[in-house]
Amino acid sequence: MASLRTMLAKPWIWSFIGAFVVWLATIAFTGGYGAGGMITAALSLAVFTVIVGVGQMFVITLGPGNVDLSLPANIGLASAVAMKVMDGNDAMIAVGLIAALGCGAAIGAANYLLIWALRIPPIIATLSASFIIQSIDISYGRGLQIKPPPGFADFTNWQILGIPVLALLTVVFTVGAATALQRMIYGRSVLAIGQNIRAAWLAGVNVGRVRFLTYTLCGALGGIDGALLAGYFRGANVDIGNEYLLASIAVVVIGGTSVAGGKANVPGVWGAGLFLVLLLTMLNTFGVSAGVRLVLTGLIIVGVITAAGGEKAVR
Amino acid sequence: MKKLLVLSALAAMLASGTALADTSGKKIAFSNNYAGNSWRQAMLDSYGIVTKKAVEDKVVAAADVFTTADKEVPTQAAQVQNLILQGYDAIVINAASPDALNGAIKQACDAGIVVVSFDGTVTEPCAYRVVVDFKDMGKQEVEQMAKFQPKGGNLLEIRGLAGTSIDDAIHAGILEGVAAHPEFKIVGSVTGDWDQTTAQKAVATILPSLPDVVGIVDQGGDGYGAAQAFAAAGKPRPTIIMGNRQDELKWWKEQKEKDGYKTWSASIAPGVSTLAFWVAQQVLDGRTDIPHDLLVPYLAFTQDDFEAALPKIKEGGVATHEYTQEDAIGAIKANIK
Repeated sequence: MASLRTMLAKPWIWSFIGAFVVWLATIAFTGGYGAGGMITAALSLAVFTVIVGVGQMFVITLGPGNVDLSLPANIGLASAVAMKVMDGNDAMIAVGLIAALGCGAAIGAANYLLIWALRIPPIIATLSASFIIQSIDISYGRGLQIKPPPGFADFTNWQILGIPVLALLTVVFTVGAATALQRMIYGRSVLAIGQNIRAAWLAGVNVGRVRFLTYTLCGALGGIDGALLAGYFRGANVDIGNEYLLASIAVVVIGGTSVAGGKANVPGVWGAGLFLVLLLTMLNTFGVSAGVRLVLTGLIIVGVITAAGGEKAVR
Repeated sequence: MKKLLVLSALAAMLASGTALADTSGKKIAFSNNYAGNSWRQAMLDSYGIVTKKAVEDKVVAAADVFTTADKEVPTQAAQVQNLILQGYDAIVINAASPDALNGAIKQACDAGIVVVSFDGTVTEPCAYRVVVDFKDMGKQEVEQMAKFQPKGGNLLEIRGLAGTSIDDAIHAGILEGVAAHPEFKIVGSVTGDWDQTTAQKAVATILPSLPDVVGIVDQGGDGYGAAQAFAAAGKPRPTIIMGNRQDELKWWKEQKEKDGYKTWSASIAPGVSTLAFWVAQQVLDGRTDIPHDLLVPYLAFTQDDFEAALPKIKEGGVATHEYTQEDAIGAIKANIK
């Protein structure tokens, strides 16, 4: 009983409960048909939200006003860079991934440069950066779909017993991210800055370097996500990252990370990522029209956030 | 004899309706609100090819292209107002919104400027609208499906961007087609937004709960994504109607070579921008009999001719067709009833 109470006190548990309830509702509708297939689909699609969600989580945890709105443009450009470098050649896959990672990291570093050197608030800095990035992408990719090498495309579809390999690798990555957040000096510094930037500075935390690292990390994750998306969706394009503006922030908030900063958790990002995909699965399976689907998605997200937030108030 | 010749020449001129006034001094601007996908890039390419030649041939004095980057209405409204001040005689426009730009369009009309909208058309009555017969396209999809799947069966429908007239028209056509072919039943409907990524994701989420599907009726730009979603889920490949994208036709060719896979492909040709250009030129030419709503055909490929078209499409691009002045005159004629 006590262990159940401890579990319920975890802010991230609500996103998993939400995902589970939505999944149950869907298989109740289909009479149990396709239950396993839905999990597989949810895992393969949630991966992309989780990767950028973790990056966004670190940025948001830096404290009020910190957010990276350049992720969609970053993902779009990195997907084009990765596919152009790979150029349909299996031997170039690793080089392409490194190029995407570098492209994303450079964007993240540039974001922080705008914030630090020009003292622009992060929201404005990353949003205006995204216009520049998008323009570069349009002239670089010319709006064309650039195809991934066959080996890379197949890799994104690999499964072991119905579990996508990409999802397993992402689990490994998130365990690493959770360790970095809770057990390493870097993660503790991010949390400290989010709780009180001045106190953290007085305590000897190198605030500038930690913030720089965090924006660069978030950018790099956006870059690698772009390459993976281009592999899974068989082609890079400018709009490939569009939905991750809202989704990357939504998974952080639904996952129980504080928007005010200073309080974060990684498991919630997974729960929320699965929740968002299963929600789409449920509404598609119910066959509701596009308009109703958008309204319901909004209402349900608000509901889950309220449930998770209410729990926090009790504590 | 000479008189007869002159008369017949005059008659021919009247019949074709050209050259009533000189347009060689006229300037036509193109207001475009987005350039970020393959369709829009093909649209701009086609427009560039046709108008460059038109300017060289001194049919018009100038044909400049103005693109805003962000799909936003206020930006495009400001752009149209600038074009009015710059003294263009006509504006060809692919609008960000069917009605939100009406104010700016009305100002242009009041300034004596001819406005021709296409693809993203505007509802302002003073403007011309070049519209593709999307309803017929939707209906044809089911007609063609009946040829490939004569036994009928379950269909999955992929819708376009919700709330647009194009989505409504294709959907209505598909429903009409299914009503005429009761052997088909639509068992699922998802929103693909004419985008491969969105479509693949939407199909992947609905697929586990669907019964066996024999065919997919869609709106273009979504066929390849649907094929990928079926492959990823390990489900048998249905007959997927394509939408003239290079990757779709290439996939079709691969499947055809493998086992004789059959389907059909149709979409609005990005080169419809050039048709809108010629309509503007015709209006400037002094023609007053042109209807403000022009219905033009879509571009379709069949099992027999798609392979010939494939090499001409840019890698990752979309099939297009550049219209000539004669095409425009023909299209106008077909709409005068």
